[in-house]
Amino acid sequence: MKHVVKKLGMILMLLIASVVSAQEEDPLRVAISHLQKGSLDSAKMVIDQLITDPQAVKDGNVWYYRGFIYKSIYNKWEKKDKQSNSRMEALKAFKQSLAIDTTKVTIAENRKNIKYLTTTLYNDACTSLDSIDYKLGIETFELFKEYYMLIDSSQENFKQYNIKFLQALGSVYAKIFEDDKAVKSEIKEANKNKKAELLKLAVDAYSKIIILDPNNNSAYYNIGTLYYEHGANLIRQLDYGTDIPTLNDAQDNTFTLYRQSLPYLEKAYKIDPTRIQTLYGLYSIYYSLNELEKSNEFKRILDEIEKK
Amino acid sequence: MKKQIYILLSIVFITLGADRPEETNAKIKAIYIYNFTKYIEWPESYRQGNFVIGIIGSNNTLINELNKMATVKTVGNQHLEIKNISPTSDVGCHIIYLLSDNSMQLAEVMEKNKNKSTLIITDKAGLATKGAGINFVVQENKQKIELNKSNIERYKLKVASSLVELAIQVK
Repeated sequence: MKHVVKKLGMILMLLIASVVSAQEEDPLRVAISHLQKGSLDSAKMVIDQLITDPQAVKDGNVWYYRGFIYKSIYNKWEKKDKQSNSRMEALKAFKQSLAIDTTKVTIAENRKNIKYLTTTLYNDACTSLDSIDYKLGIETFELFKEYYMLIDSSQENFKQYNIKFLQALGSVYAKIFEDDKAVKSEIKEANKNKKAELLKLAVDAYSKIIILDPNNNSAYYNIGTLYYEHGANLIRQLDYGTDIPTLNDAQDNTFTLYRQSLPYLEKAYKIDPTRIQTLYGLYSIYYSLNELEKSNEFKRILDEIEKK
Repeated sequence: MKKQIYILLSIVFITLGADRPEETNAKIKAIYIYNFTKYIEWPESYRQGNFVIGIIGSNNTLINELNKMATVKTVGNQHLEIKNISPTSDVGCHIIYLLSDNSMQLAEVMEKNKNKSTLIITDKAGLATKGAGINFVVQENKQKIELNKSNIERYKLKVASSLVELAIQVK
């Protein structure tokens, strides 16, 4: 009897040992264990291997932990990298987990992590908006949009982000214009096409705001101002020795731009008839178009408001 | 691990350039005036000393623009000099520009300069038929010039046919 008990005990121990060993070899547990110890490279290696298993790819939990591991890598080493691959891998993994795993807790966790990472995307998109990195800013904002919609499909909330971003984008283009004034005329000539492209991009950015918010005063005013300034610059940049036919061509182009500017400033004026900058813009355009009666009228309104 | 979204430091309203609209119009006129010095020929005796442009009337923006031009351009070997003068001034000018507010003084200016070689420029409709050589006009919102060839030649000045062709001719 004693002998049988001893044998049974040994069998039980072997069984426990095999279960423990099987548990230790479960790659997901191994990956989690590495993650908990902070061995992110090892965790990444194991989880990347795991998603090559056809069964594991159907497991939302595997994708969730993959997302978590990549998010940790992003936080540890790639936080300053606006094009971080780990952040993208993390977002893709959380998205995949969200699509597979419908349990309440996992959905909430996935959404929380996506929200965190999209926030970093939005911040990076905004801080990329300068004269050098603005294209990266636009690409990053598109990524933000794609993932933000997973956690908040409300168009109204996204609209606010979109307007702020477009406003910033438009002002970047405008700043590039402004900086261009200091450039030598021969470079200006070479940059002519680039400037026309930037004008179009800025106008597009503000036009999108108008679609989202049809009474956005600053968008109307900014488009009007961009056209006006672009036109005025065509004259400002001319050399005194410019011949008359070239001067006439410049006047034609300038006045076309002034005409394009007018409806936007008129609309901005309708939205807010007391805004000094809009009144000054209208006074300037009509003056430049040699329509002095209208120009004087806006000057009169402007003076009245300034007296108050 | 909550991260705050940046408040964008974007420019909500773009500002208009520092230049006033008067400056753009003044620039156009300055370019025209410089062209006149290339297309009109003054007698030999006028080709020494400074090339003087006299302004009758008050328009600081225009005078500043012409002064800017004078710092970077010459007429042949002659330096440009911009002077604010009175209609009865004895200053020998190559060009006299009578601003619109002073248009009534055209006859006086013509009388004072009848024996000189001075191009008289005005800035009011109809004055090219009343003695001005060149008159600035606005046509289809654009700055153009009316030119009266005989009024220019009366002052012993030669005008190039290419300038005549570029202008609205008035007789």
